[in-house]
Amino acid sequence: MNTLAYRSNLRKLGILAVLALVAAAAYMLVDVNFANERLFQYSMRIRSPKLIAMLITAFAIGGASVVFQSIINNTIVTPCLLGMNSLYTLIHTSVVFFAGSGSILAVNTNLSFAVDLILMGIAATVIYGYLFRKTRYNILYVLLIGTVLTSFFSSVQSTMTRIMDPNEYDTLLSTLVASFSNINSEIIVFAVIVLAAVAIVLRKDLALLNVITLGRQQAINLGVDYDRCIRRLLIGVTLYIATATAMVGPISFLGLIIANLSRQLLQTFRHSQLILGSALFGMAVLVGGQLIVEHVFSYAIPVSVFITVGGGLYFLYLLLTRRKA
Amino acid sequence: MFVKELTKKYDGKPVVDSVTFDIPKGSVISLIGPNGAGKSTVMGMISRLIAKDTGMVEFDGKDIGKWKSRELAKRLAILTQTNQIQMKLTVRELVAFGRFPYSGNRITKADEAIIDQAIEYMELREFEDRFIDELSGGQRQRAYIAMVIAQDTEYVLLDEPTNNLDIYHATNMMKIVRKLCDELGKTVILVLHEINYAAFYSDYICAFVDGKIARFGTVEEVMTKETLSEIYKVDFEILRISGKPLSIYY
Repeated sequence: MNTLAYRSNLRKLGILAVLALVAAAAYMLVDVNFANERLFQYSMRIRSPKLIAMLITAFAIGGASVVFQSIINNTIVTPCLLGMNSLYTLIHTSVVFFAGSGSILAVNTNLSFAVDLILMGIAATVIYGYLFRKTRYNILYVLLIGTVLTSFFSSVQSTMTRIMDPNEYDTLLSTLVASFSNINSEIIVFAVIVLAAVAIVLRKDLALLNVITLGRQQAINLGVDYDRCIRRLLIGVTLYIATATAMVGPISFLGLIIANLSRQLLQTFRHSQLILGSALFGMAVLVGGQLIVEHVFSYAIPVSVFITVGGGLYFLYLLLTRRKA
Repeated sequence: MFVKELTKKYDGKPVVDSVTFDIPKGSVISLIGPNGAGKSTVMGMISRLIAKDTGMVEFDGKDIGKWKSRELAKRLAILTQTNQIQMKLTVRELVAFGRFPYSGNRITKADEAIIDQAIEYMELREFEDRFIDELSGGQRQRAYIAMVIAQDTEYVLLDEPTNNLDIYHATNMMKIVRKLCDELGKTVILVLHEINYAAFYSDYICAFVDGKIARFGTVEEVMTKETLSEIYKVDFEILRISGKPLSIYY
């Protein structure tokens, strides 16, 4: 069915994959001293965790954004615009705030990550699940409340850091301001496990995404247990965003850019393709961006600045051109 | 299908109040009544889009809540008015979704044949590769009906199918409803505002007032001056055209 469009999409995805690969290879190999074996190994050891973290982040944010947009049936919303990043930062801060930076919950990176994930899963499901039901998926309300929540979470978080013991804050800060130059690489293994487990547990719900984009009533008509499926997918999205944020910190507009680029390029309803496209775009953009940041701007401008500026403009463009839809 | 003491309350106020009726198989049944009479809510509860408070909707000897949603989707299809899609979807792809309860995302050869038939039946062949959002209201409605046909269910529920359509398309829509019943042997239940469409194209009419059934019977039984005046609280005259009772109100 529609095999022509289907195959041309596969070709486009192939090109994207090659692009992402080229970016990854370039990131690993540019400016490497091949002659000196020890220097070579050193660069590899520094670069490979970063590269892996970026690839994981791109996959997590790309996938989560597409799924989230389909759940809420709107393509200009991303989890970040609703404050999921700030919620994660708040939760992470609260754990250190209440348990203390010396406690096992803060010292053991993996344990701290696990606690954050659990709290995040619960909090986000309660808050956003309630929000969606209450507003009946009305996108304007959801966006508005999301914006308010973002500043609310950030304010509470900054209040906590202000009344915190300065030494505690110092320890917290190093895990809080994760960025691509300061990647939280200790949790890579755990993060991969979480992402894979979520994808496996939700595989049946993910297969329903195509139908879910037809809207609640059509989905129910076609035999989807809608509310349950949405709830499960929402938890998945939350965990993906939390994982990405824990590893590299908040990057507001990345999801919006890559999810929409993928939708524009592929013009399909097939989520297997959309998610893959979005993840590949993310890998190309992130790795390519970081490559430029490291070698052209020599770390003067972090990649998140480019993404925020570019993403902001792209967001405005989407808002202004999509009015008819 | 049998509806028994169906009740729905919003904020303590009953919108549907202990509604009981039997749906005769193989016929077209129109639900009519003034705004807020609860007809769409009844339709929603019959189709499991709206959760019922009390009462039951018995479908093939089993309450509708006890059916697996996917199994029910092979027996009963519902089409409502709020269908906005954010995706780029062609007519053929939309119709193919009708096969989802059977085959999931993997469309089989047999499904393709059924999809073809549905498209042919609704005369959508020339539009099949057009995107849904590029179609006119009438064409889009037909595409959705084709999807319902592909879904291949015994029961088809339509919530105000003539809404937002001009006279030409609305009349065509009603002819299609008749064909669904006469040619494809489906039981069609629809919510209608135009009484005359209900009178001309259905077998039974169920009239609602204030969440209760005011009258349920054949077209001839319901379409009388007295009954209609009582339901709508305006004066009616009944004319006979092509052997059917049509109403004039003023």
